[in-house]
Parts: sequence; structure tokens; C-alpha cells
Amino acid sequence: MNIVLVGLSHKTAPLEMRERLAFAEALLPGALSTLVDQEPLDECLIVSTCNRVELLASTPAGVDRGVESLTGFLCGFHKLQPTDLNGHLYEHADAHAIKHLFRVASSLDSMIVGESQILGQVKEAYQQAIDAGTIGRTLSQLMHRTISVAKRIRTETGVAQNPVSVSSVAVELARKIFEDLTDKTVLLVGAGEMGELAARSLIDAGTNKLIVTNRTAERAELIAVKYKGGAVNFEAFYDVLPSADIVLCSTGAPDYVIRAAETKRALKSRKKGPVLFIDISVPRNIDPELAGLENVFLFDVDDLDSIVKTNIREREREAQRAEAIIEAEVQQFVQQLRSLDIGPAVVEVKELLLQIVEGEFKRNRKRLGGLTKEQESAIEAVLIPALVNKLSHPMIVHLRNAARDGKPSQMMDELRKMIRID
Amino acid sequence: METLWIIILVGYAICVAQSIFALTTKRPVMRRTALGALAIALGAHTAWLLLRGIRTGRCPLVGTQEMSAFLSFGLVLSTLIAYRWFHANALKAFIFPIVFVLAAIAAVSPDTPGRPTEFGSTLQSVLLPAHVALLLLAYASFFVAFGAGVMYIIQERELKHKRFGTVFYKLPSLDTCDAISSRAMAIGFVLMTLGIVGGLWYSYSRYHVYWQAGPLEIFSAVTWLLYLIIIQSRINAGWGGRAAALASILSFIIVICSLIGVRFLGHAF
Repeated sequence: MNIVLVGLSHKTAPLEMRERLAFAEALLPGALSTLVDQEPLDECLIVSTCNRVELLASTPAGVDRGVESLTGFLCGFHKLQPTDLNGHLYEHADAHAIKHLFRVASSLDSMIVGESQILGQVKEAYQQAIDAGTIGRTLSQLMHRTISVAKRIRTETGVAQNPVSVSSVAVELARKIFEDLTDKTVLLVGAGEMGELAARSLIDAGTNKLIVTNRTAERAELIAVKYKGGAVNFEAFYDVLPSADIVLCSTGAPDYVIRAAETKRALKSRKKGPVLFIDISVPRNIDPELAGLENVFLFDVDDLDSIVKTNIREREREAQRAEAIIEAEVQQFVQQLRSLDIGPAVVEVKELLLQIVEGEFKRNRKRLGGLTKEQESAIEAVLIPALVNKLSHPMIVHLRNAARDGKPSQMMDELRKMIRID
Repeated sequence: METLWIIILVGYAICVAQSIFALTTKRPVMRRTALGALAIALGAHTAWLLLRGIRTGRCPLVGTQEMSAFLSFGLVLSTLIAYRWFHANALKAFIFPIVFVLAAIAAVSPDTPGRPTEFGSTLQSVLLPAHVALLLLAYASFFVAFGAGVMYIIQERELKHKRFGTVFYKLPSLDTCDAISSRAMAIGFVLMTLGIVGGLWYSYSRYHVYWQAGPLEIFSAVTWLLYLIIIQSRINAGWGGRAAALASILSFIIVICSLIGVRFLGHAF
């Protein structure tokens, strides 16, 4: 049994091409059953996301025919010429295909290494293939292993650990100060798109209340209503400053909107611990002198950006550890697959031995003289199978070992020569 | 006895190494080993205290060896309780080194059971050990508050200087440090109050005076007042953050000074 994989991703194909080759969810069941009917494929699975399309199949025929059939299907389904895909497709077989799949599911091949969506998408693709009835023993084993490898990499390495977007870094910082965000109030100064985005990730992280202020009051009202918060007059935001735990500033103003002296005065009436100021505006809208105030923590765009960059580097370092794990897992799985593969060979060996033993029994039946019915059936039902099992056992062990070394067919030929008398 | 101390010291040494390692390196290492070592060391530690009590027929709270042993025992317990409440693994790195040092002091201290105290009544024989035990446990709590205060200051520095290294990720959030510190301080304060009451009662029962105005009494009164003021400011003035963390550190340093002062100037026990 061979495993073949054909696909394209953000690394090999532009968005336009990926869009054309994507499988819409509604069409997927049909696509799967068409694909599995292609010669010489046994099982198949399709992973289709906005960043990649992967066709995976198992085939008893050679690798080349399997790949050809997958590529043919991909072109046929999307009504493209094979030449249209030149240079955009990658093809993998057996160990390489398994490795690719492990890497994809573990998010090592993702645009942002360590992102968590892809594993969900792979699981979903597997479920859809199960529903469509296109999964057999080989792919089911492969997919289970893929999912467990991806989980192992998430827990054993830091590829998914540190946040790598400005918004999530802001949330992480808030958590490093406040731990629990559920009773915290966010003050959003400037109701632009960027500000809203950052405020939203804080709200998603569980903050209690949002207060919005903006030069144009209508826009502030709009955002406040959207997130069930309150809006305050732009001139009066220093009054609500003491009640805010996190202050997000993102306005288009050319100079400081939140000034140090006023903030210092406003915070005097604040009685609870630290305040986090996040300035995501360029040019900066929060006076950097604020950072000198006690219990005030100020981060600007550059700070957040440098955390993002460090975290990305960190993830890349961790990805190297993950690659080593994958390498080992691939080896192990390939061996497992090979020992699965000796199933038919085992049957053949037993079959051959059975023929010999039964043949000899029949040939020499007369010499045994008169046997009772019980004796006869004991020979056929107990003695012969026992003999076959005893004789075949060492051969099967050898076969299994040979399979582990990747040479089951040579061993099978040897065994045939040894057993056959023809 | 000696074997027990070797087990205890080796166990705590492993915990110290692991907790510091865990704080300063990316991945948790030897977690299970350290947990096992802690369980064994704590078991041996408990056994030593019990055996000592059985052998001497009194609470093991007399002399440097027993007091160090009991204090380090109390510290381990407080750390475990703090971990159970706040899941702040990093705290161990700040407390276990002292646990180890105290255990080492106990291990090398001369094994002098001391003259058995002659008690005038059963009440006195209960009050004195209770007084000592409560105060030692109060100090253990204050030390946890101190450790949490130190963590707060370090974490605050990391945030202020925008240094996001391993320590930053391993230390708990500022709020958690603050919560550990304030709760440990409150518990320590209650224990200390009870301990002082026990001491006064003992003093009255034995010497018919409540207040002897000795150095220990004055130091204790000062520490008690100090903690009272800190706790009161935290509750009423909503005092928190950096100032509270510094207060928990400074007040503990004063406690240490008071203890050392007591050792130099001598005390009834």
C-alpha cells in the first residue's frame, strides 16, 4: 500500500490559484466520492482551507499512478489544464507524504507557525471523509497518528506558545498584569478600526466593561452600543480615567492625546493597583513620560511589535525541535505501516503450508487405516491448523522483521522458494 | 536521626535546583523528580519532628535546631498552600532556598534537647509551645508575603523595562503576586496576634505580669503594629501595587531584624 499526496499552499501558489482550486464545503462529499472512484485509489481525503488544498490517498498501485490520478482529478474537477498548475503543485509519496501531513497538522507549514486553526481543519477534513465513506484502514491509522503528533507538538514544544499578533500581545500583557480580566474596565480612546480591533480582543479575553471616547461622539456611541459599553465625551475622558484598568489609545492625532501631568492628576483618585496603557497610534498619542508614573505600564506600537517579532523567532526555534519529533514519528509510522502491509503475505504463507500438510494427509490417508469420525475431524480441525501455526510462526516473525527493514517482498520471495515444492 | 537529615537536605536541594531551573529556563524539567523529592523530604521532615517530640516528650520547639526545623517545615506547608490557592509555581524558587538553609541549620545544630522547662500548670505547658508555634508559622507566612513581594518587584521591573525574557513568562501576573502577598500577610497577622496573645497569657500565668518590656516584647509590638498598619492601608485605602509589595518586603526585613535581635539579646525560651 502506498500513500500519495498532491497539494498546493500559500508557499507554492498565489491566492488567486488557491481560490480556484479550493473545494467548497457543499461540494466536498461529491468530490470525495468521485475521487475515491478513480483508479487506482483505495481511500482518499481532501483538506481545503484558504491557505492550502491537499489531496491525500492510498493506493495499492505504484506511487506514480497514484499521483497522476490525484492531479488528474484536481484538474478535472476544477476544469483546468495540467499546465495551469505547473510549478504550483507539490507531490509527495509514502514517508514524504506522511511527513508533509504531520507538518501541516502541527502547523509547521502554516503562514503563522503554531496557529491552532489548521489542526481543527484537518480533523474536520478527516470527519468529512469518514462521512463520505472514503476512509479505510490505512488512512484512518494515518489520520489518528497525524492528530496525535500535532497534539504532541503543541504540548511538548513551544511552537504555539507566545502570541504573535499585536492584539494578542496586548491581551497577553494585560494578563501578565491583571491575571483575571473579568472585572477589568477598558477605556478606548479613539474609535478607529485598529483601536476597535484591539479592544475587541480584550473583550474576547473577558474584560468586564468598555468605555469609548472619540472626537466625533457618534462614532464612539456606535462602538459603545456594539460592545454593550458606554461612551463618554472626549473632553471629559480624564474623569473616567481612574476607573479604567486598561487604556487603549488609537487616534489619528498628530500629538499626545493622553498627557503625563493630567494623567498623574487623574490617577491620584485611583485606589486600585496598576494601570495598563497601550498606545497603538502612529505618531504616538500617549506621552512616553507616563511610563515613569508608579503603577503605570505603557507600551507603544514598537514595544508590541518587538514582542511579536521575538515571539515569532521563538516559535521558529521551537519549530526546529518539532521537526525532530516529526522525523522520529514518521519513521515509527512507516514501520507500523509496513508491518500492517504483511497481512496478505501472512495469509499466503499459511495457505501454502496448509496445502502441503493437507495434501500429505490425504495422500497418506490409507496408511493410517480405519479412523473413527472423531479421530478424523480431530486431525482436520485441530492437528493440521496447529501444525500450520507452529510451522508458520518463525516465518511470520522473519517477515515482520523484514517488513520493518523495508524488505518484505524479498523475504516473501525467499519464503515462497523455501515452501514451494513445485 | 542523621540519616533523616540527609534525606531531608537532599530532597530540598533537589527542589531548590529544580525550582530555580524552572524559573530561568524555557521548559519545565524534572518536575516529577522534584515532586517526588519534595514528598520524601517532607515525609522525613515530619517524621523527624514527630520522633523528636516522642523522644523528648514535649513539642519540638526548643532551641535552634528544633525551631529551625519547625520554621522550615512551616515554610514548606505555606508554600504548598499558596500553590494550591494561586498555582504560582515560581514562588517555590523564592522560598525553597530558605527552606534548605533553615533545614541545614537544623541539621548541623548541636543536638541539645535543653533543660526541660518546669511548668507550673498544664495551662502553661500548652501556652508556651502554642505561642512559639504560632509565631513561627506567622513568620513563615510573612516570608511567603515577602517572596510574593519580591516576585512583584521583579515582574514590575520586567514590565517597566519591557524585558520579556523567560523570567517574565514564568513569574505570575502582578495581581497574583499582590494577592499572594496580601493573603499571606493577613494569615500571618492573625497567627501573630494569636501567638502574642498566647505569650501574654503565658507570661501572666507564670510571672503574673502581661508585659515585661523586654527587647522581644518591644520588637514584637512594633512588628505587630507595622503589619496592622500595612493591612489596614491595603483594606481601607485600597493600597496596592508597588508600594504594597515594597511594604511586604520591608516589613519582613524588620521581622528578621527583630528575630536576630532576640537571639543576641537572649530570650526566655
